[in-house]
Amino acid sequence: MAASELAQYVVTGLLVGGVYALMSIGLALIFGIMRVVNFAQGDFMMLGMYLTFYYAVALGIDPLLGALLNIPPFFVLGLLVHRAFLARVTGGGDPNREMDAQLILTLGLSLVITNATTMILSPMPRSINAPYASKAFAVGPLLLNQARTYSFATALLLAAAVYVFLTRTDLGKALRAAADDPEAAGYQGINVRTMHGVAFGIGIALVAAAGGLLASYHPIEPNVAVNFIVLMFVAVVLGGLGSIPGAFVGGIVIGLVQSLTLLLLPLQLQNVGVFVAFLIVLYVRPQGLFGRRARTV
Amino acid sequence: MSRLTRSLALTLVLVLLAPMVAVPVAVAAEDVKIALVAPLSGRWARQGQLKKMGAEMAIEEINSQGGIKALGGAKIELREADAGDSVEKAVSAAQRVLTREKISAGIGSWLSSFTLGVTEVAERLQVPWLTLSYADNITERGFKYTFQTSPVSSLQAEQALDLVVEIGKKNNRPLKKAALVGDNTAATVFFFKPLREKLLAAKGIELVADEVWTPPLADATSIVQKLRATQPDIVFYGATNFPDSVQMLQKLKEFNVKTIIQGVGAWLVTPEYVKAIGKENLDGIQTVVAAHPLKGQEALVKKFVERTGEPFMTQDPLCTYAHVWLIKEAAEQAKSADPKAIREALAKIDLTAGPAATTLYPGRIRFDERGRRVGAIPIIVQWQNGEPYTVVPTAVSTRPLASVK
Amino acid sequence: MTRDRGWLGIAGVVAIGLVLSLALSERYHHRILTLVFLWATMGLAWNIISGYAGQISFGHQAFFGIGAYVTVLLAAKLHLTPWLGMLGGAGVAVLAALLIGTPTFRLAGIYFGLATLAYPLIFRILMDFLGYQEVAIPMVRDHPVLFMQFEEPRTFDLLALALLAATLVLSRLIETSRLGYSLRAIKENEQAAEAMGVDAFRCKMAAYVLSAAPAALAGAIYAHAILFVVTPDGVFGVIAIVQTLTVCLVGGVGTLWGPVIGAAIMIPISEILDATAGDRFPGIQGVVYGATLMAIMMWAPEGLFWRLLRRPASVARATPVVPAAATAEAPAAALGPVQLEVRGISKAFIGLQALADVSFEVREGEILGIIGPNGAGKTTLFNVLNGFLLPDRGEVRWLGQPITALRPHLVCRRGIGRTFQVVRFFPHLTVLENVMVGAFAHGDAPGAARERARDALGRVSLAGQADTLPAGLTTLELRLMELARCLATSPRLVLLDEPLAGLSSDGVEMMAVMIRRTRAAGVTVVIIEHTIQALVKLADRLVVLDHGRRLAEGAPGDVTRNPAVIEAYLGKRWLARHGPDHAATLRP
Repeated sequence: MAASELAQYVVTGLLVGGVYALMSIGLALIFGIMRVVNFAQGDFMMLGMYLTFYYAVALGIDPLLGALLNIPPFFVLGLLVHRAFLARVTGGGDPNREMDAQLILTLGLSLVITNATTMILSPMPRSINAPYASKAFAVGPLLLNQARTYSFATALLLAAAVYVFLTRTDLGKALRAAADDPEAAGYQGINVRTMHGVAFGIGIALVAAAGGLLASYHPIEPNVAVNFIVLMFVAVVLGGLGSIPGAFVGGIVIGLVQSLTLLLLPLQLQNVGVFVAFLIVLYVRPQGLFGRRARTV
Repeated sequence: MSRLTRSLALTLVLVLLAPMVAVPVAVAAEDVKIALVAPLSGRWARQGQLKKMGAEMAIEEINSQGGIKALGGAKIELREADAGDSVEKAVSAAQRVLTREKISAGIGSWLSSFTLGVTEVAERLQVPWLTLSYADNITERGFKYTFQTSPVSSLQAEQALDLVVEIGKKNNRPLKKAALVGDNTAATVFFFKPLREKLLAAKGIELVADEVWTPPLADATSIVQKLRATQPDIVFYGATNFPDSVQMLQKLKEFNVKTIIQGVGAWLVTPEYVKAIGKENLDGIQTVVAAHPLKGQEALVKKFVERTGEPFMTQDPLCTYAHVWLIKEAAEQAKSADPKAIREALAKIDLTAGPAATTLYPGRIRFDERGRRVGAIPIIVQWQNGEPYTVVPTAVSTRPLASVK
Repeated sequence: MTRDRGWLGIAGVVAIGLVLSLALSERYHHRILTLVFLWATMGLAWNIISGYAGQISFGHQAFFGIGAYVTVLLAAKLHLTPWLGMLGGAGVAVLAALLIGTPTFRLAGIYFGLATLAYPLIFRILMDFLGYQEVAIPMVRDHPVLFMQFEEPRTFDLLALALLAATLVLSRLIETSRLGYSLRAIKENEQAAEAMGVDAFRCKMAAYVLSAAPAALAGAIYAHAILFVVTPDGVFGVIAIVQTLTVCLVGGVGTLWGPVIGAAIMIPISEILDATAGDRFPGIQGVVYGATLMAIMMWAPEGLFWRLLRRPASVARATPVVPAAATAEAPAAALGPVQLEVRGISKAFIGLQALADVSFEVREGEILGIIGPNGAGKTTLFNVLNGFLLPDRGEVRWLGQPITALRPHLVCRRGIGRTFQVVRFFPHLTVLENVMVGAFAHGDAPGAARERARDALGRVSLAGQADTLPAGLTTLELRLMELARCLATSPRLVLLDEPLAGLSSDGVEMMAVMIRRTRAAGVTVVIIEHTIQALVKLADRLVVLDHGRRLAEGAPGDVTRNPAVIEAYLGKRWLARHGPDHAATLRP
């Protein structure tokens, strides 16, 4: 195989990995701060795709901008969803039971969102058909789809913004305090429940923004989440459950794995590479690349 | 029994008896009911919608011309059920519609994979079933109630290959490399199989790319990357639904991959492509289908277009139109609305006149013991200037075959 | 629920099922009935590993799908009757359970669930790739019954009912056997279970394997009765696990009635919805299932069964537990030979040396107290002795044999029992059943275990509470129950981790009596306590740990006057100000 052909696969994987990375950061944030595994993450992304579609078709707003415009409404939605549902599930005070309970709650939420969208908006796939979605930048022998390139860049910017937020701002530090030691944070006057709501809101807003970026080149339909939710989980576990930089790296790696798997396996088995990687990480190094070894039982 | 166990038992019994109240009991009626199980939601919805249009047009014609005379002018009623986007949904829809009321015959379910499931139900419930689906195995199961009016995939593969090789020779651009790009639904599978296994090799053509996906197609990039690297002269194309297909065609354009596209199926000739891909990019794309408006069918096409507002008529409404008329003929010959009697009539039928026969080329409807229409010949359709035309067989073509630049 | 009521209940459910099957006539009703029975079976299967053992599996549909595919492929390719093919499917599922379980049970908590998720996804892709994206059940006209093709839909319900009955029986057998008690202990607290002699890994594997077979059989019947064409999504897809989860969660997790109740309620509702509204509102089923899952998690996470079931808490506990008088004050017998030798144990965690070169001996028949300020390493020491932690250096010898690397359940079976700082009881089992978990350490038979448990309860004066639920017990009674559970494992030495914490002075007195009684019965006692005062009167000897080191050892009176000990507890300044003698009169 020619070097340029290999390079093309790598580039394709990187571009798509950037968007996976943004999706996964939201999931990692939610897990890291509130220890909730949000099964519905992919469905919020799907809703973000639809909202961006609406912006594009009804208001003529470019999807890249539309993706950023997803952030405020989805942040609020995240706060509301947390307050209405997640905050009520305590699992009887047992942290293990609580995690299971929240997993099932978010699974239920995922079903409701997907199926309600199917009922209300119909399952026919739609596309934004942005002009740059079917054009590519030619870089030497390599072709970089324009929409994906813009999305990749935007994803990086958003990820960097999140990182700065968490490490430099007071709110970000309060969030991390609430995650590390809820009791001590409480003594410091931090309302842990509010922090959880904020974390959930940010996590949802991020994945909705990722959805908006994805909508610039991917068909939009109610079931789109199912393709991505497992990729997100794999990326987050690979990076280390709860680690934001880890999730970012995980997303990029998964994009690459997905693309490079095609050098060895036929198209239909593309995701097998991803799932096998998932299992290997879980068995060999469950805390992932950057995660702390959590005390589990 | 403890209080708990008693209340549990009571709940159990009550809940299980509830359906008897909820589900409507079958009501005897004079009308002849035809079931249409087709995808009405999801990615194949367009095809189902077109089928429904064809069925409705035929029903309106029949009913306005006096209904089924042998049954005292009984009218036909359509009972539709949504096959959705999965085999389970299709099977479930078939079961629902066939057990709710007395259905005399059924049509559907467009996608060969769905049809396979739906006919399993129809066979077990002994309701005759007409389908336009192509997959060979639809009529290779020893079923008695399934009737397939289209030429089968393997036959289509042979004829399509012969045609493109001939064209290549004529234009002095012989085909050396071919690619197979399509999903893993039954019609595509049975189309690609003979090509892959013997036909291409027999013509000295090398298979350079074999890309199959499970629908929905997530991303066309990797496939097009492969085509770009291998540069086939022709791509045999079986995407079966518009959303998957348009992704693929747009990606081909983006990566500037130039090749001959030979599709299999009528999903490649719906009007939406014009807006999505652009007239110029569609020109020359061919596909092999079971039916398309032929020379002499202008009146029918005009009626359809006026009635529905569609820009042109294609296989799906045509075949369903023919199927409804065929069932009408069978009911007339059987002098009964009973499904078993209609099945007998269909098995023996030999039509050479009437709307059903004239719509389906070459104009005679007769089924062999497997349920396959004898003498069915594939039609090749080509996009020219924003509309698809029948180009082969030349005897009934509406435009001559245009060469691809 | 007594044993007899359980079997009677199963018979009742089967009888109701039979009656409904024979009484109903519409094809559609039979479909609903078949689905109720099949999903109840699937729920019961899931319950074995996820309800009893608490290992929430999100991948049980893997076995369901394996059952369906193997059976149908064997019929389609080899013309093998599905009656036998089904058994083949179950066999493959069991093999898959072994292969999947072996690496996956090493994962804990959320990781286990996530790992199980991956397998059905992989199988789905593989089936598509192998060309099995739609395998039709071949129609066989000459021997339909041999190929599970019935004209009469009622036959499918009866078949499904038979499978349900078998699975109910299996569940009941597990519930009342040693495995069942062990599984519930593992769910509650795996460590405590191991300390009571439960081999957690083997029990989990056994549960997983047992849960795979009914799931596979259900899949095979589902394919023949409902699907007709087996597709990867239809059997390995999300809908299978969602229905299983819903049925169990709505009905009640950890009990065999739960899935039956859940299926009886949810399946008819969803089928009716699908039939009446499914055409106009595709997706209505999903919304209902999702909303139900959410509602259950928020308001009744244990499920309807536990919610509705109100066991009357026995009121008998009003009578104060009377300490049997001075008979417990048996004079300390002449100390026996050395039973437990701890030599040079060191253990470091990241940034912390928890134990540094700790050595001491424990003699048969003594009460040894291990004391030290917070963070001294006391519980870590117990964890090493017990087998939960491997020391970096050093050795532990029990009755002359090295046990340093032995797993906790084996340490227990050798005769060392343990209690924990926080009492982990099994809320849905009676006090007696709680203690029975320990009693299984030396034998399989439930009857004998029950007797040993009763005996242990008698020894701690808790016999009156045998049939109450632990939720109604006081802290003292809970600790006594835990002690009984430990004693039921027939130990020769017990490690008690802060048994006096949280008790009033009367309670402390009572526990002390029990501890002396235990020693009088020939069991060596090693106690960790944080406060010195209580142990001073109880223990024969004290070992003092501070910052992981053994600071002092000796008779209580000597140890409490030891300046180094006082300094460790109260600080240099206090010592300087008040002097060593003052410390002995202190009441911490």
